[in-house]
Amino acid sequence: MTNRQRSHKRRFPRTARFLRALPGHILLAAMLIFLLFPFYWTFVTSIKPQRELYGSTVTYWPSKPTFESYSKLFSEYNFIKPMLNSLLVASVTTVVSLTVSLLAAYAFSRYRFKGRKFFMTMFLTNNMFPTVLLLIPLFAIMRRVGILYTPSALILSYTTFTIPFSVWLLNGYLDDLPMSLEEAAMVDGANRAQAFLKIILPMLIPCVVATGAYVFMTAWNEYTFAVMFTNESNRTIPVALKNFIGQLGVEWGMLTAGGIITIIPVCIMFFFAQKRLVEGLTAGAVKG
Amino acid sequence: MKRKLVFALMAVLSMMAVIAVSAQQKPVTIVHWYWADNPAYSAQMQKIATDFNATNGKGITVVAQEYPWDGGAYSETLFRAVMGGGGPDTSSFKLTSTPLFAANNLLVNLDDFLAKWKDKDKIEPSLYDTMRKASGTKSVYVMPWNTQVLYVYYRPSLFKKAGVTVPKTYAEFLEACKKLTMDTNGDGKIDVYGFGMRGAKGGQEPWGSFIWARGGNFDDLTTPQAIAGMQDFIDLYKNGYAPPTAPMDGFNEIIANFKSGKTAMTIHHIGSSIGMVDTFGDDVDAFAFPGGVGRWTSMGDTENIILKSSKNKEAAFEWLAYLATGKGQEAWCVTTGNVPVSKDVQQLPIFQNNRFMKVSIEGAPYAGIFPILDTTTEWISTIWPNTVAAALAGKMSAADAMKQLQKGLWGK
Amino acid sequence: MHKKKFNPWPYLLIAPALITIFAVVFFPVLNAVLMSFQSYDLRRPSQIRFTGLANYAAAMHDSLFWQALLKTAIWVVVGVGFQFVFGFMLALLLNRKFWGRGVVRSISLIPWVTPGVLIGLMWRWIFDGNYGVLNDLLMRLGLIHDKIPFLAQQSTAFPSVILTIIWQGIPFFALMLLAGLQGIPEELYDAANVDGANAFQRFFLITVPSLKNTIFVTTLLRIIWVANSVDVIFNMTEGGPAYSTQTLSVYVFNKGNTLNLGYASTMAILLALALALVAVPYLKMLFKAQEESK
Repeated sequence: MTNRQRSHKRRFPRTARFLRALPGHILLAAMLIFLLFPFYWTFVTSIKPQRELYGSTVTYWPSKPTFESYSKLFSEYNFIKPMLNSLLVASVTTVVSLTVSLLAAYAFSRYRFKGRKFFMTMFLTNNMFPTVLLLIPLFAIMRRVGILYTPSALILSYTTFTIPFSVWLLNGYLDDLPMSLEEAAMVDGANRAQAFLKIILPMLIPCVVATGAYVFMTAWNEYTFAVMFTNESNRTIPVALKNFIGQLGVEWGMLTAGGIITIIPVCIMFFFAQKRLVEGLTAGAVKG
Repeated sequence: MKRKLVFALMAVLSMMAVIAVSAQQKPVTIVHWYWADNPAYSAQMQKIATDFNATNGKGITVVAQEYPWDGGAYSETLFRAVMGGGGPDTSSFKLTSTPLFAANNLLVNLDDFLAKWKDKDKIEPSLYDTMRKASGTKSVYVMPWNTQVLYVYYRPSLFKKAGVTVPKTYAEFLEACKKLTMDTNGDGKIDVYGFGMRGAKGGQEPWGSFIWARGGNFDDLTTPQAIAGMQDFIDLYKNGYAPPTAPMDGFNEIIANFKSGKTAMTIHHIGSSIGMVDTFGDDVDAFAFPGGVGRWTSMGDTENIILKSSKNKEAAFEWLAYLATGKGQEAWCVTTGNVPVSKDVQQLPIFQNNRFMKVSIEGAPYAGIFPILDTTTEWISTIWPNTVAAALAGKMSAADAMKQLQKGLWGK
Repeated sequence: MHKKKFNPWPYLLIAPALITIFAVVFFPVLNAVLMSFQSYDLRRPSQIRFTGLANYAAAMHDSLFWQALLKTAIWVVVGVGFQFVFGFMLALLLNRKFWGRGVVRSISLIPWVTPGVLIGLMWRWIFDGNYGVLNDLLMRLGLIHDKIPFLAQQSTAFPSVILTIIWQGIPFFALMLLAGLQGIPEELYDAANVDGANAFQRFFLITVPSLKNTIFVTTLLRIIWVANSVDVIFNMTEGGPAYSTQTLSVYVFNKGNTLNLGYASTMAILLALALALVAVPYLKMLFKAQEESK
């Protein structure tokens, strides 16, 4: 709970507060409908019998819901495997990217040094080049290093593309944080590392969580590298899903069921992560 | 002297034994890439590999790895891996990619293998010719696997309702498209379209039949005959005999439209027949695309190749042979419904008694492929769909569209 | 003035990031840049040779290139613009306290969490001219009488793919700005409340200035990202019908997939240059603001 909301509570009684918030709630509801409808539609598609998909009338809930695709996904396909592979790749990518990026972002934000602007600009241009043009040499590199067809190949290539963005994002957040707290700590005798760990990092946690979510999602959803650098033993989700689209059309049931199953755990993970989104402030407020 | 001879004999024998053992039992692993059009095909491919491993008796182990078809980008994925120094020993393949792989010298010349192969004649010689033509050389680089001949699916019940009989000529076919476009429930809106037109990628195959029916061909797309064929194609859409979504309709859409009863006819091959029968039972049948001045239908194809980088080419050929004429051929064609390339397998009752197979075989004499040039892949994936979409939308005349298509394919 | 002592710390701190990037993409990118000066078409490997600026000259005369560039501009401006506005609104709405906030926050991320493979196909399915739910909804509401083939006609295909990218990008801004909102000291709002500022004043005088750098960075990153994004358009229309949804990145992707890598690299570099035109003033402002804050 923020002080701002606390002050509202002081000023308005309950119903008045609700009425005040009503337009906001309506707006939020409208946006949620827009954001979530395709998800609902994916779900409905996943439990519709194929015949009903292409019926003459559109049905908003299947007349005979079937969860066959879900059971097939796990019994025949061992869908758990690509999920675990994706989880491994995305988690390691997130941890590595965040660590490396935090250091660099801190340097860019808190130091003024020669070449700073050059390096920042270079980081930005790194992601301007379409991956489709880099695939052959990258494949050759991965093969020569000997990590082709291992999760490391994906982790390495993903971090390359997530680090620059993460550095920029974190740099933006750091610039928005007031310097005064840190300086005060350093005046009190803390060194830079202590000031960073004790003061900045707690305040930065929401931003680290947000940036981490960006990195995680990028690694979780990537297809172009994944199809080149993995084989049957370490396939990730996007490749597994793409296998449901053959020359003879889309396996709608399997594809959408697979989609739903990958979305839900990530949402649950984020549900726990988002609590951290408000912690930064309280940590800062205590000190402030 | 005698001792010496015995000794020499023994030495020779033991050497032969060593050679025989190493030739027969030195375990070899062949990595094979393939794509699967649906989960059943995927399972079948794994089963074929397992069966081959159990029965080949030469210590060959095939590891079959599935890669996404990805709208045709399968070929590029394979190409990039091979160019990057990796990739499999063998792979499933599309003929249209031959120029790309041949130009980069990635394919194994199969001539010597074929010359020694006992089952060589089980495959129609004309198929080998097609393979040679695709590579632009006198050699075979791709091993035939199976083919599909495009024909017209139709709904007998809708034909009855519209008072149409199975068209015998191209003119009758166009007339049928018109008559089959109906408002069946009397609400003033068209709910059945005569022709399920494919305007998105892949649509060039049925489209080719129109060009040839008017007497055109692919060597020169700007002849008046070819343009007339294009005009017919455009008119079907403009006159409302094809669904308004046609410019973006791909395989999925034409099949869905046919299955939901939105279209009375559509063009595809035997691969979709199992699903059609599932939906309609007896209320679906097929006829070969009829002839006009000329006659042509598209032959779809799937082959297998050996990559030059493979270290075990002999074993790789063993595997491809198994797929082409061995048990692998039968198993795959029974599951997929594709037309076998092995004449023995074609004779099996399961293929002889299938009404769709009959139509496929009926169309085979007119079946052909697009010119396979280094421009073909791009022409199929972007130039054809976008040019035809503009022509269907009335933004471009038939003649201009054909000029553009000619330029995209032949460079002038 | 005495000479400043050399401080190695910032260099050590950025070293891991730099080394990773250098080790992995330096050669591939250099290679791609070199390809743009060659007739590098892997379909014709025997004809690969240096051709100087021939590819660049060809692009200048390629009407599809210019059309794609224009499409990219619209795609980015409209796409990112709406993503930002709606994303900011969502961030503010989610920053309030209400029952079930945690759940709403995490489910509102769903568009972003959805695998890219699925997004294009799902929306294609929603927009479908025959079985699409959008047509059905609009007809039920009485807004249209005949089904619209959204993706099959040139006039509606581009707006449809833009709507999809907006949908996909809202959560990014919402999340990033929501995180930024946590860093604004409440004393600022309390002071403004005492001064009797209304909601709009609080928003424009406190919220926006406090998030200045975050807004800068997120919009810049998103512009680059959206300009380079391929999978939504490719899975929905492949750039059709009649090239009406072919942005430059999709054009590059199509050329790259047919392995005309020389020409594809050329266009990719031109796209990067066009993005640099946008980025440079951005960077100037940003660096200037950073200097002032120190």
